[in-house]
Amino acid sequence: MIPLDFITGALLYLLAVGLALSLLVTVIRGARTLRRRRRERVAAPVRGLLLELLCAPEEEQGELLERMARIDRRTWTALEPTVAAMLGKVSGRARTALVRLYEMRGSAAQAVADLGSRSAVRRGRAAQVLGQLRHRPATPSLCRLLDDRDREVRLAAARALGRTGDPAAVPHLLRSLHGPRAVSPKIVTAALTSLGADAWHRLAAGLQDPAPLVRAVAVEVLGVTGAIARTPDIVRALREDPETEVRIRAARALGRLGMPDGLEPLLAAIRPGQPAAPRIVAAGALGSLGAEAATGPLAALLGDPDPHVAGTVARALLRLGPPGEAALRGAVRDRPDTRAAAQARAVLAEAAVGGTRHDVLVEVSL
Amino acid sequence: MSLAAVGNWEGPLGALHDVITVCDTAVILYFLAINTGHLMLNLLALGEITRRLRRAPFAGYEDAAGSPFTPPISVIMPAYNEAAGITEAVRAMLLLHYPVFEVIVVDDGSTDGTLEALAEAFDLAEVDHVVPEDVPIRGSVLSLRLPRGGPVPLVVARKENGGKADALNVGINLARYPLVCMVDADSILDSQALLAVAKPFSDDPLRVIASGGVVGIANGCTVEAGRVVEAHVPSDPLGRAQVVEYLRGFFLGRTGWSRIGGLLIIAGAFGLFRRDAVVAVGGMDPDCIGEDAELVVRLHRYMREQGRRNRDYRIVFVTEPISWSEAPSELRVLGRQRRRWQRGLMEILLKHRRMIGNPRYGRVGTVAMPFYVLFELAAPLVELSGLVLMPLGVLLGAVDVAFLWRFLLAAYVYAMIISLVSIAVEEYAYHRFSRWRDVWGAFVGVVVENVGYRQFTAWWRLRGMWDALNRAPQVWGSMARSGFGSEQIPEGGKRT
Repeated sequence: MIPLDFITGALLYLLAVGLALSLLVTVIRGARTLRRRRRERVAAPVRGLLLELLCAPEEEQGELLERMARIDRRTWTALEPTVAAMLGKVSGRARTALVRLYEMRGSAAQAVADLGSRSAVRRGRAAQVLGQLRHRPATPSLCRLLDDRDREVRLAAARALGRTGDPAAVPHLLRSLHGPRAVSPKIVTAALTSLGADAWHRLAAGLQDPAPLVRAVAVEVLGVTGAIARTPDIVRALREDPETEVRIRAARALGRLGMPDGLEPLLAAIRPGQPAAPRIVAAGALGSLGAEAATGPLAALLGDPDPHVAGTVARALLRLGPPGEAALRGAVRDRPDTRAAAQARAVLAEAAVGGTRHDVLVEVSL
Repeated sequence: MSLAAVGNWEGPLGALHDVITVCDTAVILYFLAINTGHLMLNLLALGEITRRLRRAPFAGYEDAAGSPFTPPISVIMPAYNEAAGITEAVRAMLLLHYPVFEVIVVDDGSTDGTLEALAEAFDLAEVDHVVPEDVPIRGSVLSLRLPRGGPVPLVVARKENGGKADALNVGINLARYPLVCMVDADSILDSQALLAVAKPFSDDPLRVIASGGVVGIANGCTVEAGRVVEAHVPSDPLGRAQVVEYLRGFFLGRTGWSRIGGLLIIAGAFGLFRRDAVVAVGGMDPDCIGEDAELVVRLHRYMREQGRRNRDYRIVFVTEPISWSEAPSELRVLGRQRRRWQRGLMEILLKHRRMIGNPRYGRVGTVAMPFYVLFELAAPLVELSGLVLMPLGVLLGAVDVAFLWRFLLAAYVYAMIISLVSIAVEEYAYHRFSRWRDVWGAFVGVVVENVGYRQFTAWWRLRGMWDALNRAPQVWGSMARSGFGSEQIPEGGKRT
């Protein structure tokens, strides 16, 4: 069994560890307090200079930038968190000045070099810095990082590409959606959306991709960024795509675009006999479209057995204005004890207090 | 000298002596194993937290706050006799920093004017309603109210009393967004709480189905406008012990489990779920007193039983400090709470017993659930047995006194070391407690938690197990609240 000497030794050892941990807690706190004070002290003399730079007219920025670029490494280390925070908050001339400051201090070049670092943390931070600086020349390197072995680095690269604003990244971002090192579709969608209209042409190519996720994201982004010219492609996706998720996003995109061409395919998409999710989104999109011609088909679905479809239909009718409202009142009047009347009453009551819940419930699994 | 036979033992007394010797050895090994298990979890958590801290600069929190693609959330807040604090709680929820969300309050048949307080504060108007029955409910919805005229994303449902789980099910049915966040009416969330807990869903939307947040103890903290602005360790020993317990068990323990994919508990005080996943498993179980943990176990089970494609899912724990709850300040109230928790645990483990040790359920079945059976369910039984058997062993000469006191001291110091590791990790990672005296208070909490507090809770937990075996009626006790306006949370909350 356990010898007494062993347990005595273990006890003494444990007591020593306990004491060391208590000291460690105290030291961590003390060191952090000291470090914070030291940073504040070191950065204090140049804070004013930084504010001056942010507020200075363009012709005076040069000299201030030179002075800021010359501050020693220790001071810059203390000041840099403030500069980084400012970079995310300011715009226009002040932002340009800060970006220039980073470049003069060699931060952009260093970040580009760090993209090849063996440390995932350094690669991720480098991508973050380059995104913040909107450093377009780094686009090819950031695109390569979309295939990084570290998932979070890939996410940082996708976010950075969204900020750099270079449409050349579109095919790479779309490709990053599938494969063993895939990037989150939400992050890719956000990045592609940031690229705006410049990305439309390349995005449209994504509509033909064999991967459903790529098609779904391409459709979604085209809708969000208002790619009216691509309406026929989106209509085709809603009508013909075999994947429910793609059709859901196509319906939503047509609602956002608000083009009359979307009416017919959306009316076809709400017909019974199809999965509930695309019907719900299509009904919501018809409400956004605001086409009076949708009133009849929508009113016919007020009594749909799926309460989410029926509820969305009722809200869509309300958004159509007087004709839709009349249809709702008609349902209450003509079919008082039906599901349709209950849905209509609920939506009319919501509207009466000004609290209509227009959002559409759809659980998208992609 | 060691565990050694002393004297000449024969007959029945000799057999008893042998049994005591074996039991004492088992207790010693159990102490060693349980503490080492917790230490391993702490170390796993330390690794995970360090990793997250180093990666925080490029984690993309700012992007999530401003992105139209951040998934919208329905916050479900069940309320039963919460009139004292419900208005402030809802107001604080509505002010959370998140792109798109709604707050659904489900009044579970309160009798203290909870609904009237809300109606007055938010100018609510009753509206006709149709509530989908995506998950079954017991108590029917009596009314639905919306704020008049404004864009306030608030829905208040009044239903027949049916319990917290049933109220949550009504909220799930009313939710219109793909993520549902379940919070207690007395939860105090940090303004970034939804952003933090929803981040895993943005970063890994195809796999994450649930995420839980850290719950801290609000007792002693300074609260302004429904937010904790200064975190403190309470000055009473009970509060201090609970702070340490929460850090060790709920903060580090769950982080460790999340790291290895074995997270079984997401606190009802603050958890975020994919609505479709919750609907797929049938919502909350109103018959289980630990409905929050039971939902998580059921989600694991469902995903694992759905075949290969669904096995690639994640249930994660977010380590950032985000949610605060009042903790009991009276032994009586604490006792009721722990009885309930232990009973809930036992019911869950019994209900899902086929998962225990079953490789089909991955690490949840082979590691997490056996750990919970051995070191959470059985712990009070073994601990109290040890407290009886050790002195008995001394009396019978099966245990040497010199050995016993050294062993007991070593065992408790080992347990204290684990609690100290928790404090050290908190201090290193998030350092929420601002004053030096909070550190000293936590040190006191480490001692109190291990000497006194743990033995009391072991007794209550044992009674909770008895309740579960006896199928005693489920009792939630009174839920009197102090509320949280701009004030310091009293150093004893009043929840049960």
